[in-house]
Amino acid sequence: MNESQLILTIVAAIGLGTPLIFATVGETITERAGILNLGVQGMMLIGAVSGFWATFHTGSLLLGVIVAMIAGAALSAVHAFTSITLRVNQIVSGLALTLFGTGLASFLGRAGSNPLVGNPSRKVFEPLFSGAITEIAVVGPLLFGHDILVYTAIAVAGGASYYLFNTRMGLSLRAVGEDPASAESAGVSVARVRYIHVMVGGSLAGLGGAYFSLVLVPTWQDDPIGAAGWIAIALVILSSWRPWRAVVAAYLFGAAERFQFTLQTLGEPWSAVPSTLLAMLPFVLAIAAMIVLTSGKRARLLGAPAALGIPYFREQR
Amino acid sequence: MMTRRFIVEPRGLASPRLKLAVPIASVIAALVVGGVFLFITGENPFAVYAKMLDAAFGTGRGFSETLVSATPLILTGVAAAIAFKMLVWNIGGEGQLLMGAVAAAGTAIWLGDGAPAVLLLPAVILAGGIGGAIWAAASAIPRVYLGTNEIITTLMLNFIALNFVNFLIFGSHSPWRDPVVATFPSGRPIAPTARLPEFFNRLDAGIFIAIVIAVAAWYLLEKTRWGFAVRIVGDSSDTARYVGISVPKKILGVFLLSGAAAGFAGGLLVSGPVGALDPRSLDLGIGFTGIIVAALARLNLVAVIPVAILIGALSNAGPSLQAIGVPAATVTMLQGAILIFAVAGEFFVRNRLRRPDRVSEPILEAGEPA
Repeated sequence: MNESQLILTIVAAIGLGTPLIFATVGETITERAGILNLGVQGMMLIGAVSGFWATFHTGSLLLGVIVAMIAGAALSAVHAFTSITLRVNQIVSGLALTLFGTGLASFLGRAGSNPLVGNPSRKVFEPLFSGAITEIAVVGPLLFGHDILVYTAIAVAGGASYYLFNTRMGLSLRAVGEDPASAESAGVSVARVRYIHVMVGGSLAGLGGAYFSLVLVPTWQDDPIGAAGWIAIALVILSSWRPWRAVVAAYLFGAAERFQFTLQTLGEPWSAVPSTLLAMLPFVLAIAAMIVLTSGKRARLLGAPAALGIPYFREQR
Repeated sequence: MMTRRFIVEPRGLASPRLKLAVPIASVIAALVVGGVFLFITGENPFAVYAKMLDAAFGTGRGFSETLVSATPLILTGVAAAIAFKMLVWNIGGEGQLLMGAVAAAGTAIWLGDGAPAVLLLPAVILAGGIGGAIWAAASAIPRVYLGTNEIITTLMLNFIALNFVNFLIFGSHSPWRDPVVATFPSGRPIAPTARLPEFFNRLDAGIFIAIVIAVAAWYLLEKTRWGFAVRIVGDSSDTARYVGISVPKKILGVFLLSGAAAGFAGGLLVSGPVGALDPRSLDLGIGFTGIIVAALARLNLVAVIPVAILIGALSNAGPSLQAIGVPAATVTMLQGAILIFAVAGEFFVRNRLRRPDRVSEPILEAGEPA
């Protein structure tokens, strides 16, 4: 592999990792509040279709992003209601969200007299910088070759990290995820904190989905996001609920997804490796990392929110 | 908090009528939500639902296809119900079904035309169950012995299985690939002696096998010593440990049974309507839809059977909608909505709402909240 191929690969990995950052940070915030939301895949797909739809009809990328975030948050509110107010099983509720979101996204992309399916996006996010700065060797494409959402994703991770560990509200959030009864007696409304952060998580998942339909795969098709939502759920654990680590993990998995294309550019004998086998790489990596990093005694060191997935009964204290 | 208009309190034993009412209300509520989306996209929901009803039940052909769709759903429903009951979160029905299909088709191709049908057919179907159980073991063993989160591993193994099937058919010249058709790769058709006999259009004896497996799973769990021990583990692993039950072994057993059930679905598809390892006919989300079946059946292994027929009817109706210009995804949207309402409905099975000013009826038995 020569230098320019390596740089191209890294740039592509950063692009593929960006939606994973949004979704992983979103789910991290949700889980820090003690709510497990397995609906990431569904929220991302709803974000992808609604963001694409808004940009398609208005020509505005900003509106596309906003609509995607609202749609993701709206779907996550369903999960918030079932898991916080109705206190039913969060695992099944999250799966329900994914199945409904997947079906609804496909439906919305194909419904009506002038369906979205097969249409290219009216606009896509272009690289933020242009001119001399992007032509600097190595540094130019690596640091200045991206669209605005790539930088936004890093800022979101940084902001989430600051919020979680350096603000009063972040402290309340973590308290709710660790020990809701104590948080409640300290005057924190567990239900309100959980609702807000589940919906923040949903809006970030929606944004991650829109990154697919407005940047990575800018022609509407039924399922533009692959398995990104599921990967994001694994990344939350692998980054041990810390947003900065999520950035590193997301880029690593972006690289793993890119790997099959990279091998093809290397020529014989590398290009002979079947792409169907290489497509397994991110999933094999996720399982291997789960077993190595999170099993046995190491599980306790990860710092999973203690109340994750457990319904909270206010009246029963 | 604002003043509460209702007080939520745990219900004792839910009446059978309520247990039936919640799933029915879930389906109706999902149809209403689906109707709203159909309406805002310019369709007449009533016309769409009438078309679906007709496609699923209106003709003999339609009804037989509904049962064809229901057959693997009974098994993936059993797979999800048996695992979820024990708080084993096997979400890998997709992958276990696919690997069951790989094993079944492999057995049929390997034993070939030579073996007599009386041996070949059971071997093929059984191979499906074993293939599914082995694939489940890849998640079950790390879960039981290392504590690895099975939600993640079962999910990831779904995608690995799908890529593996694609590799066998599209990415290599494996024995599973049809050597005759060169232009567009497809699965090699298995011998007619390895196929289940059809008796009602495309419906084959697989539906009876699926029903027998569901009833057998119910018997195993509800009527045997092993099942009793497993149910104690599902209720409380502390209690189970206290009375000397080996919790890891029980979880492993449940996990493998769950995988085997999904694998049988793959085996019945290969020896039934599909007749080959064909990714396009096997990768239809049947594993995930099984979770909907299990939840709507409230994890009752016998109730899974009629619920699978209902959900199968929906799946079967999807393609017919395209003829009237409505997306087939209407069906997946409805199925997802059914699951949301079914899971939300559990709240009403377990709790009752009471006006603060009214006196509570005595609770007959302390129900476990949530």
